[in-house]
Amino acid sequence: MEMSELTHASAPRRSIGGQLLGSSQLVLGLILAALCIAISIAAPQFYSEANIIAILRQCALVLIVASGMTMLIITAEVDLSVGASLAFVGCIGMAVLNSTHSLALGMLAALAFAGGVGLFNGLVVTRLRVNSLIATIGTMMMLQGGVYLFTREAVQNHNRLVSFTDLGAGYVGAVPVPVILAALIFVVAYVTLRFTTLGRYLYAVGANEKAVRLSGLRSERLKLFAFVVTGLCVGVAGMILSSLMNAGQPTAGRGFELTVIAAVILGGTSLLGGRGSLFGTLLGVLVLKVIDNGIIILGWNQDLQMVVPGVVIILATYLDIIRNRANVR
Amino acid sequence: MSLASTASLKDQPSMLARLFARQELALLACLILVLAFFSVTVENFLSVRNLTNVLGQASLPLIAGIGCAIVFISGEVDISIGSLLATIALPLIIIMNDTNSLLVGVSGALLFGLIVGVVNGYLTAYAGINSLIVTLGTMFIMRGGVYLYTGQRAIPDDASLDSFIALSDGRLFNVIPYSAVIAIVLLAAFAYMMQHRPFGRQIYAVGGNQEVARLAGYDVRRVKFICFIISALLATVAGIILAARVGSAQHTAGLNFEFQVVAATVLGGVSLAGGIGSLSGMALGVLILQFLSNGLRGLGLPTEWQLVITGMIIIAAVAFDEAKRRRANGG
Repeated sequence: MEMSELTHASAPRRSIGGQLLGSSQLVLGLILAALCIAISIAAPQFYSEANIIAILRQCALVLIVASGMTMLIITAEVDLSVGASLAFVGCIGMAVLNSTHSLALGMLAALAFAGGVGLFNGLVVTRLRVNSLIATIGTMMMLQGGVYLFTREAVQNHNRLVSFTDLGAGYVGAVPVPVILAALIFVVAYVTLRFTTLGRYLYAVGANEKAVRLSGLRSERLKLFAFVVTGLCVGVAGMILSSLMNAGQPTAGRGFELTVIAAVILGGTSLLGGRGSLFGTLLGVLVLKVIDNGIIILGWNQDLQMVVPGVVIILATYLDIIRNRANVR
Repeated sequence: MSLASTASLKDQPSMLARLFARQELALLACLILVLAFFSVTVENFLSVRNLTNVLGQASLPLIAGIGCAIVFISGEVDISIGSLLATIALPLIIIMNDTNSLLVGVSGALLFGLIVGVVNGYLTAYAGINSLIVTLGTMFIMRGGVYLYTGQRAIPDDASLDSFIALSDGRLFNVIPYSAVIAIVLLAAFAYMMQHRPFGRQIYAVGGNQEVARLAGYDVRRVKFICFIISALLATVAGIILAARVGSAQHTAGLNFEFQVVAATVLGGVSLAGGIGSLSGMALGVLILQFLSNGLRGLGLPTEWQLVITGMIIIAAVAFDEAKRRRANGG
């Protein structure tokens, strides 16, 4: 946010009320509220405790990866390999769990693999200067092929570790474990972006990489950091997913990268870098998942789960543009 | 960026280096290398049958790649083409089943493609929404729409028109597949437009520097708008050929096709930043990837390895290209 203020320094200073109204999150918050009200009128069970927990659990996976992806997109890069990596991580994590019977080792293997993928992407982008869209399409292909070379079928759960099952299906009080993990990761990422120097540098790299380099910071390292963080988030999400499915599925995660990116963009983070916020991403994830949930509890055709988000992404971005134009005037 | 690269600028580049500075020549050398490697290792790789088969397979990414490259050169992206491939098969097959006429079916499909192009183009050029977001959105909408309409079941082509089937297995002079002929004709026509017509120059200008293009009096919005229409119409043509090949409208048709085309286009030296690249480069990029996967299959490698190797080659090729460009620019 600070950086976005800086980059739009030419815009006249606005009052606090004007800033609040001008916030892109407000539009999204209103959309979310309208959705919740509309769905709950049509289907009162929307507000049941069970349903709200179901929505939160659905949000958890996307939010975990979207937290890393928001940082990455703020630095003006993108990672399309997260879906393929998610599937691979689940298979590797499950295989390690089966052979070692240790949740710690399985988790470590998943994080090492996914972090390694992030590191690879980051090195290709920062050292070899390959456009991240292309680099991560390349990694996506390698991972999609690689996971089938690793296993042709789902890696079944032979370890019967209670702690592993809890990772996806467990509860602390009334709250599912994945939601707690997602909340933790979200808060850490939020604090990093909002309140630390590192966070401010990430915005700066996305807004004006050259200026950052000229001021003596290593812009490559910052981008590399964002890639690795995104990878580590995928590692956590992959383990949760394989716990939820009770197997490592090589076909899992198809299209997951698009859902994550859609949520981040919906949250107002600019693909050009330098602008965006994690709070927006949270709203973006919630909007997409509330829509998904609404389609299910209203008994609509589930294929609408693809159509409606498509419309919402375009519409929300368009509203944001109109709002910006109004602000400039 | 580094001292070494600025120093090398002062040296006169050798003849060979200057030759390789031409993107297309480097790509051609790559293609010849691929062909040479597999002609030794794979039996019958260089047979007319195999070569023309690969050409036929390459026709889909070639045709859609023209549109993809033109949109890239104008400084935008279009990732909705894979979904469009699946979507236009619906009007095509339904109308053909109804009217028994290829012409009416194709017209219906092209009309549908035109509408999609207008929507993508309008939202990007006139409404000012980032094209990655627009086409990501229409990609979702169209794929979901096809799932909804078909109920995830294929709609078979009941008309079985000879002319339609010929699109998939007919060959000109019994040698070159018709789909490859269509691809070559379209490629030649659009390459001519890009290099020798004013509109082609406008596209390069708009992608190279939007502000300068505006000051030069070009209608930037109109140019981009038309580029999206071209892309959608070409993807429609590819979709028609695909529908002929599978003999039905499939809800999963063209899944990940956009990534395949984008990869080949970038491999062919068309920059995502706009203003740089050529259709011949894109075509060479497509051919390299197609011959590569054909050759790897000939070696008996499973499809998975093809994916892995293709991914690695895309990254390596773009990295190599980037290094070369930096050396040439001295930083």
